[in-house]
Amino acid sequence: MKKLLEIASIGLMVVGAALLFERPAYAYADPGTGLLAIQAVGSALVATGWYLRKKIYSLLHRGGATGRQSDELSATKEDEGASSL
Amino acid sequence: MSRETEKAWDAGLLEDDSGESALEPTFRDPAGHLYLTETHALRRVQPAAVEETLAFLKSPLRASLEDSGELIASRIAEPGAHACMVAGELWLEHPRIDPISYPWEWTTGQWRAAAELTLRIARKATDAGWALKDATPLNIVFAGARPVLVDVLSLERRDPQSSVWLAYGQFVRTFLLPLAAQRFLRWPLQATFFSRDGYEPRDLFEALSLLQRLHPDLLDVVTLATLFEGSGGSKTRKLPVARDPELATHILHKRIDRLGKQIRRAARSGVASRWSGYQQAASHYRPADTEEKQRFVQNVQERCRPSCVLDIGANTGTYSLMAAEAGAQVVALDSDSGAVEALWRSAAEQGRNVTAMVANIARPTSAAGWRNREQLSLLDRLMGKFDLVLMLAVIHHLVLREQVPLGLIGGLCAKLTRRWLVLEWVPPADPMYQEWLRGREDLYGSLSEEDLRHAFAPFFHVLERRVLGNQRVLLLFERNERGEAGREADGQAGGA
Repeated sequence: MKKLLEIASIGLMVVGAALLFERPAYAYADPGTGLLAIQAVGSALVATGWYLRKKIYSLLHRGGATGRQSDELSATKEDEGASSL
Repeated sequence: MSRETEKAWDAGLLEDDSGESALEPTFRDPAGHLYLTETHALRRVQPAAVEETLAFLKSPLRASLEDSGELIASRIAEPGAHACMVAGELWLEHPRIDPISYPWEWTTGQWRAAAELTLRIARKATDAGWALKDATPLNIVFAGARPVLVDVLSLERRDPQSSVWLAYGQFVRTFLLPLAAQRFLRWPLQATFFSRDGYEPRDLFEALSLLQRLHPDLLDVVTLATLFEGSGGSKTRKLPVARDPELATHILHKRIDRLGKQIRRAARSGVASRWSGYQQAASHYRPADTEEKQRFVQNVQERCRPSCVLDIGANTGTYSLMAAEAGAQVVALDSDSGAVEALWRSAAEQGRNVTAMVANIARPTSAAGWRNREQLSLLDRLMGKFDLVLMLAVIHHLVLREQVPLGLIGGLCAKLTRRWLVLEWVPPADPMYQEWLRGREDLYGSLSEEDLRHAFAPFFHVLERRVLGNQRVLLLFERNERGEAGREADGQAGGA
């Protein structure tokens, strides 16, 4: 079970990272190395939540759930994903 | 300034060594420089930034931010309107907010208000297709009690796919970490005077305990940021970019919202205040004395009708608010941040024009920045700008705690006020005077109102005098016509 969770987490992070790509930074104010990395990790997590939200919404929508119910569910998931970073 | 002159100035070849204390044009932002005149703040826009600036000026975002009072008003200066302008260049004209306070003179609440304004503007900009490229408290000025973003060139068009807020690091260093350092480490906000770009995550990491490093509010911006620092080196930094613009906007919203929560939690801790309950707890004041004092100050307001008032030792602002209510622009100083916090909150709630600062007139804030010309000293910002100066129950602090002779205090007051001074004399028999006397009766035990009047005579004469029931004396002084000669005597006239 633990192994399964680990694989699922890595899979979700890969999904998040796949939604993003990289470009060089051109900043006037120093963006900071560590703080920029925090943004990158945070972006991947939020992207994962955003992807799941869309997927869950489309699944529930197909299954006949009301838009409001699916919104509530997906918003909860997304907040869980984003709260750690 | 011509292009050649500017290049030479940039290279440090032209330096004004007149020794006068004056602000230099700002120089860090490659998009433009800010110049101050008596009446305006002028922004010279560099050619490379002209198109972007004009686009912003035409944008609905600019109109909405100006309407809400969140952004300083701007207009394109007429050619030749100011002596420093150069034909053919884009210059913006802003109203001058004067005097201003600097972040190291703000209370926790003011820091929070400035941070929340920055985040609010960053979020609105994101929605409108713009980005705030600069997020530092130095770009926020308090117009009275209300924070305003004054750097119009901070806004630039946003890459719709960019999921990174480039000013995030600057916001964390200059807003969040000082507040977090105050909450978790008791580092005073006033210490930010020494660090233009705020604190690095490592500064806090090294000072925090192991448990504190794992605190949810510090885990990302301090602990992980410090751990990630080692891996970046000096390589070109890469930014994550979203394939879907909707996702990019969503990520930016989440980031800004999280920062808002972190700021609110970091600003939750108050600082210990000795004086903020003073008005309520003052046992040496009977209600009748308080009423009499308030009536005296009220009468002075009606008689003198000052347009600018300086309240030194303002405490929680009873008299500052009274002056502001009568229509004056007020600057209120006190060295107790808890008292200034209460003052600022009252002024903000009542919409009064009071600029509240944590500052000690006996140890005024120094000038700061490059060649001490990026930020003015407190006295340079205050000298000669007020019609009326209030020094209520402050004189014994200056004499007994700061050990400043009465003549020097009179000399300073004559430089601060253009005309009137209201001073509350606290006699040696007063309990508060006795509290600070501390066995120095020989030096200060026999100081009298006569000594005060004698020491102030080169600068002021007395217009009105009122003795309160508790034997404190309220004096309305007017500056002598021979003020200049009197000021020369500053340093020689020592009352105590």
